[in-house]
Amino acid sequence: MTTTVRTAVKLPTRRTSAGSSGRRQARAAWLFMLPTLAVLGVFVVWPMLQALYLSFTDYQVFAPARWIGLENYQKLVSDPAFANALVNTLYYAAVTTPVSVALALGLALMLNRRMPLRGFIRTAVFVPVVISLAVVAIAWSFLLDPNIGLLSHWLSKIGIVSEQGWLRDPSLAMPAVMIVGVWKNVGFYMVMYLAGLQSIPTALYEAARVDGAGALMQFRRITWPLLANQTMLIVILAAIATLQAFDQIFVMTHGGPFFRTETLVMMTYRVGFKEFQFGYAAAVSWALVLLIFVLSMLQVAYFRKRAVTY
Amino acid sequence: MRLRSRVRLVTMTAAIALLSTACAGQGQGDSDTGGSSGPVTLKFWNGFTGPDRAAVEGIVSKYNASQNKVKIEMEIMPWDVFFEKLLPSLGSGTGPDISAMDTAQIPQYAARDVFQPLDDAYGPQGVDPNVLVRSAVDATVFKGKKYGIPMNFTTLKLYWNKDMFREAGLDPEKPPANWDEFGDYAKKLTKDTDGDGKPEQYGLTIADHATIAMWPILFWQNGGGVVSEDGRTATLDDPATIEAAKHWVDLVTKGKIAPVGLSGADADKLFQSKKAAMEIVGPWMTTGFKQAGIDFGIAMPPAGPKAQVTLGTSVAFTLSSRAAGQKKQAAQDFFSYWNSKESQKYWSVNSGFPPNRTDLTADDLKDNPYSALFGQDADKSRFYLAGVQEFQKVNETIFEPALQRVLNGKGDIEQVFAQADKDIQVVLDSAQ
Repeated sequence: MTTTVRTAVKLPTRRTSAGSSGRRQARAAWLFMLPTLAVLGVFVVWPMLQALYLSFTDYQVFAPARWIGLENYQKLVSDPAFANALVNTLYYAAVTTPVSVALALGLALMLNRRMPLRGFIRTAVFVPVVISLAVVAIAWSFLLDPNIGLLSHWLSKIGIVSEQGWLRDPSLAMPAVMIVGVWKNVGFYMVMYLAGLQSIPTALYEAARVDGAGALMQFRRITWPLLANQTMLIVILAAIATLQAFDQIFVMTHGGPFFRTETLVMMTYRVGFKEFQFGYAAAVSWALVLLIFVLSMLQVAYFRKRAVTY
Repeated sequence: MRLRSRVRLVTMTAAIALLSTACAGQGQGDSDTGGSSGPVTLKFWNGFTGPDRAAVEGIVSKYNASQNKVKIEMEIMPWDVFFEKLLPSLGSGTGPDISAMDTAQIPQYAARDVFQPLDDAYGPQGVDPNVLVRSAVDATVFKGKKYGIPMNFTTLKLYWNKDMFREAGLDPEKPPANWDEFGDYAKKLTKDTDGDGKPEQYGLTIADHATIAMWPILFWQNGGGVVSEDGRTATLDDPATIEAAKHWVDLVTKGKIAPVGLSGADADKLFQSKKAAMEIVGPWMTTGFKQAGIDFGIAMPPAGPKAQVTLGTSVAFTLSSRAAGQKKQAAQDFFSYWNSKESQKYWSVNSGFPPNRTDLTADDLKDNPYSALFGQDADKSRFYLAGVQEFQKVNETIFEPALQRVLNGKGDIEQVFAQADKDIQVVLDSAQ
């Protein structure tokens, strides 16, 4: 996939074609991109810049925004609520990202083989991806309810009793929203891995078998290295998605109990929409933008070395 | 190449989801005076999604049918959605003219000039304050001006499940009268039948977050509270508050008389599903409890060591600061209609709330016995965080998390409450 794109990008500057036709092609390329760029510009870039501006003000909706320079960011650095939300966000991402990726790979390997009910299981794993997270979060809240929840009931049968219920227990609330986060996204990553697995030429495995390589060796020497591109994409997508954890937390715990599950996005929401400090909320969300940007760049730099083409 | 742009795109798309929130319009629209021809249309938002919805809709449609000068266009949505939409929509000029909300929420909007003072709307021609429940009118005051017109008023009362009282060998007609009896009954009514350490039936159900104030009532009964009555001083680390908190937190955590971590809705659900024997809550639950087939009684909450007191609570109409001229007049006309004798009788009978007016007779209310019950002891009721400008910060950001912390055994009461007390004082001082 990388090769085709590279050629396409190089086209306009190809030396064999005349300069004018190159320019024409470049113009055509821009024209093709224009609608998308316009949409991105209006709905993504402009609001982001607006928010950046607001993060330097004390904007509260009704009174006009007053420029206060770096005050919001200074407040951020010493705000224990921000530190708490940052730790929660990193904790959530650090656990759910590797777990999602590993689980997705495991499922993909399992479901890439012939087995009974394969189609059904693939669908079952993928279904959460297409359902609204808010809706499934409500369903999970019911399942985990300590008094009427089916899951709590089953767990109590095997001796696991949560007196308060998972979502109200300060030490179990975060694991609960993590499980839902993983369950929701794992199907999507699994499908990406499945596609990767199917693009690996079977001849490689045949050759390996002839050379006497066992299943484990085949995985280590063929499957895993040749999935490097997928792994890079999935890890980056998963990390970005988990750093923005919001929906199920909003529905299931609302950031509680006592901020134990408040992530940066939850905090942005609370500070902006509940306490009306929109300037400060914009600063929190820009801190998250920077965090995601830096982490993504680090990931790209790391994975670039491992990129494979075949 | 493709991957990098993809990452960038995803990052940006990601960011937008967050950032767009902060970008509501900043325009300061001109005053909205309503059209010059035809009826004046007023947008009215509120959160009466419960069983009382029908009574609200009843009065509004009666009002619309009673005259042809004003048309109320009402939108009812859950309270959380209501509060999320309100400020951004008013900021961008698409919000409601009239919105109804708990009086405790009004100051944070009034302080930002979102609403206008309504002192003009009171008076012999408009809403007569002398026939209304005094504390409900007083609760709309912020910095000396009245920013609301009462839409409803009630006190909270103790509900108890009579069948459970019988089963536990208690007199089903005799609710607990003081703290000793209250705690004692709650313990007797708590049952762990399968011995797994988690009671199947709780003596009490009490919410610690996203709720109408329940815990503060217990603090008041011992002479403490979250803030002083004038709303200027934090009182969470007063000995009286600490003592009350210790007493009840102990009963909950060690005696297990009530579950920890309930929201208001969870607490109601527990009583409604017959898993708890007592709850302190308002008249809006009578319908739900009756439908669940519960034989319940209603009484003034037990007296504390220092006072017999309960929560008074009121929802008030507010008017957008942009509504002027005809719109303002139209709104005032609607407020008067809502608080007329006829409407108040209809409201009480159909919702179970007591009337806002003090001049309705027992005969007027005989069709709904709950109405009179919840109107009793209004003089022993107190409003939670009345006049405090930053209700949200004091209650949801500081007080409720502190309470949850001690209920979960994460930190001792003195320390946690002392810190919360300091944090609240900072918020109170910065609003002066």
